[in-house]
Amino acid sequence: MSERNLITLNGQDVEFTAGETVLEVAARHGLEIPTLCHDPRLDPAGACRTCLVEIEGWRRMPPSCATKAMPGMVVSTESERIARHRETLLSLYLTDHTQDRTEAESYGPDQLFEMADRYGAEQDWGAMETVRAARPGDRNPYVHFHPESCIVCARCVRYCEEVEGVSAITLAGRGSKTTIATVDELSLLDTTCEMCGGCIDVCPTGAMAEKMPITRTARPERELEKVRSTCNYCGVGCQVDLNVDTAANDGAGRVVKVTSPPAGTTTNDGNLCVKGRFAYDFVEHPERIQVPLVRGADGELRAASWDEALERAAAGLLGVKERHGADSLGFISSSRCTMEENYLMQKLSRGVFGTNNIHQCAAT
Amino acid sequence: MSEKRRAEIPERLEREGGLTPGAARRVARATGVPEAEVYGVGSFFHLLADHEHPVRVCTGLSCRLAGADGVLATARAAGLPVTECTCLAACDEAPAVLKERSVLPSVRPEDVERAAGDWQRLTASTLPQDGPWRGTVGPPRTDPDQLVFDLLGPQDLSGSAYEKALGLDLAEMLELLETSGLQGRGGAGFPAHIKWRTVSEQEETERYVVLNADEGEPGTFKDRELLLRRPDLVIEGLAIAAATVGARDVFLYLRGEFADPWQSLERHLAEAEERDLFSGIQFHLHAGQGAYICGEESALLEALEGRRGMPRLRPPFPAQVGLWGKPTLVHNVETIACLPAIVHRGGTWFRELGRDEAGTSLYCISGHVKEPGVYELPLGVTLDELVEAAGGYVGTLLAFSPGGASSGFLPASERTRPLSFGALAKAGSMLGSSGVVVLNDTVDLAWAVREQLRFFEEESCGQCAPCRIGTRYLRESVDHHRHGTAAEPLGKVADAAWQMNEGSICGLGQAAALPLTSALKHFPEAFGLEPTSDGDAP
Ligand SMILES: Cc1cc2nc3c(=O)[nH]c(=O)nc-3n(C[C@H](O)[C@H](O)[C@H](O)COP(=O)(O)O)c2cc1C
Ligand code: SF4
Repeated sequence: MSERNLITLNGQDVEFTAGETVLEVAARHGLEIPTLCHDPRLDPAGACRTCLVEIEGWRRMPPSCATKAMPGMVVSTESERIARHRETLLSLYLTDHTQDRTEAESYGPDQLFEMADRYGAEQDWGAMETVRAARPGDRNPYVHFHPESCIVCARCVRYCEEVEGVSAITLAGRGSKTTIATVDELSLLDTTCEMCGGCIDVCPTGAMAEKMPITRTARPERELEKVRSTCNYCGVGCQVDLNVDTAANDGAGRVVKVTSPPAGTTTNDGNLCVKGRFAYDFVEHPERIQVPLVRGADGELRAASWDEALERAAAGLLGVKERHGADSLGFISSSRCTMEENYLMQKLSRGVFGTNNIHQCAAT
Repeated sequence: MSEKRRAEIPERLEREGGLTPGAARRVARATGVPEAEVYGVGSFFHLLADHEHPVRVCTGLSCRLAGADGVLATARAAGLPVTECTCLAACDEAPAVLKERSVLPSVRPEDVERAAGDWQRLTASTLPQDGPWRGTVGPPRTDPDQLVFDLLGPQDLSGSAYEKALGLDLAEMLELLETSGLQGRGGAGFPAHIKWRTVSEQEETERYVVLNADEGEPGTFKDRELLLRRPDLVIEGLAIAAATVGARDVFLYLRGEFADPWQSLERHLAEAEERDLFSGIQFHLHAGQGAYICGEESALLEALEGRRGMPRLRPPFPAQVGLWGKPTLVHNVETIACLPAIVHRGGTWFRELGRDEAGTSLYCISGHVKEPGVYELPLGVTLDELVEAAGGYVGTLLAFSPGGASSGFLPASERTRPLSFGALAKAGSMLGSSGVVVLNDTVDLAWAVREQLRFFEEESCGQCAPCRIGTRYLRESVDHHRHGTAAEPLGKVADAAWQMNEGSICGLGQAAALPLTSALKHFPEAFGLEPTSDGDAP
């Protein structure tokens, strides 16, 4: 007879499915356990130590992220011991962290400060100078490493390896000097890095940060307005959050950063590529075409309405078909189009104009 | 990329002369492991990461007490490519100096001067002309029948214990071990028979035996003497273990500074092979690359696999999921070396050798005693008895560490407590690897504490915050206290120590605060504090 999959969680019997971790079971039951190094896309590391819980019969508090629920386990996520653990751990973390919250948040959201507030950790244990090496000469345009904010949770390193399969960065050195490095401390540009910026996204403290907003001294991320949009660089349809500084451009607003929605909430699962994450500056480019243009009799382009522009294009195409036959037309769609748009394009080609000359630039 | 190629990373980097520019890239190409990962591995190990200093002076506690600072200063003044290093497992021959991968014993400033600025010429005047140097061992060999290791006795190349063990079935062997009461001598004192049983019971039939010869706990140097003097016991013990748990491959992980013990083992393995003593068992020698934490068994397995030596989360334990995911029996050199005698003479004989616990122990003693060395004595002798064997105290006893840096400091009043796992645990300390360091009343204990804290700070793997940050925080706090550079510098150390013990992943971080907390408890006056009524740390 199979045992029922039940554990006792803070005094209540709850069910779990085989393979679930204590952290996952607790989350399903609305219990908050703090984490810093955890990411649902990665193998648990159990290294940040924030998620320790008590299990009856276990002398030491295990990390809930890496502990599988087992029938009969009696788990507590709140106790005097756990509270003291969280407070002292977070206080200790802060001694090895930049003390300047404003500066820290100019790099990105800093969950360590937020967590210290939430769990009432004292912030008066003193401060130590950072001994983690930076990579000052790295000329890559996108990713900045700020060792003063780094808590060495290795999420960036593990993400780079386990999700991207790139392994451009590593934990290097050891002890208090452990840092995030590239091979021979080279610029990311000279490594296998693909500049996806996932390291920035997974960093809980802004130690991996985006260079562009820093150099433009944008406001902290929590003061920006997030506008959900679809990346238009390819047909995958990744969801992006445009981070808008609404006060910029005299109140017209400006996109100062792109972030990915949290893992597990959209099809791209928190991932983006270099274009989706970093290539948003065109939005503000002075030569960006924002309305349809048609050529006048004088040969110059002028602004037009969509109706006028489409009519002009249709008339031109129909004229060619009349004069030279349908197969004198060819249709090429862009790899930036979605599958649905590509489908419509071939329908236009075959059904409307009557030619099989249809191609898409991503086809080989 | 095969996992076996990854395992070659440390050795390939060693052959590159360490982590020189470009080396990681070349090794990455040869092994198929991403170059950043190779770099991460190389940067973890001191002997690889610091390739610019072929000479390293040990600045561990015993070596500093014996004049390491003078040796270091002389070497620096002479322009030698020299740096400091943590314990070299030669506290009995302090101060010790590492030259490439060999340890020079009892080096004096005059030795350094004689090298005349050429590090290749550096040598120790105590070095014997023929063969490797050895430390003092004792007591005199009056009754070999009462000795397990018999360090002064002849080597046994008969393989007869192995033959006898082959005649026992698994249940008989486990029962023999259980009767013997053998406990692991690497630090934890865990009953050996339980580990053997666990490995034997795993469904997976590919299993390994690993010898932990990474001896790095400050104050400990017994494995060195065993490997130099009785490699026969070690190899035969490993063969017995392998045959019992069904392993064909045995991995011997020696710390990288053990060039002499390595040669001793190699010579003995060649001899054993010639005599075909242990056919069917493959012995693989692996060199560590300079990392105390790789003595922790799961970190050792990571290092063997060619990764950064960061301890694994437990459970699962190595006996269940070990090297390359296979059940693995990891033992300390001394534990393994007990096996031939246990097989020959029986479990009861072994158990009755000890006082409150089973067997004899190889006690290492250094610091303020007349004859530092390794002494085989019944498990559970007192400090006074041990020191008597070592020629007596030098000066007046102030404090002692009974089991390496991790065991903290005990006051002189504990000199009659049995030096055994159980008795020391009751005193909030531990026997650990039985590396006893004696301090007399000329020592500033706050300074000694600081030195031990610095060791853990240097050797923390850096994986988890309580240890990575806490070891440094405690050392800086003591520095602030000693130099008066902060208000209430010790105000949070009790909380930090509590956090390190509760929050750390492995034994290093869990024990690293002990030198400070034990000193605050037993020697508050060393920190200018009043003793509290219950004797607890403030
Ligand atoms: C920080 C740390 C360092 C250790 N160093 C050593 C060592 O140098 N040698 C050793 O045999 N065991 C060492 N150990 C203990 C090992 O983890 C392990 O318990 C031991 O090798 C098991 O063998 P045993 O049962 O024979 O003692 C260390 C443990 C810790 C936590
Ligand atoms: S306790 Fe220290 S040595 Fe052990 S895993 Fe944590 S950081 Fe590494």
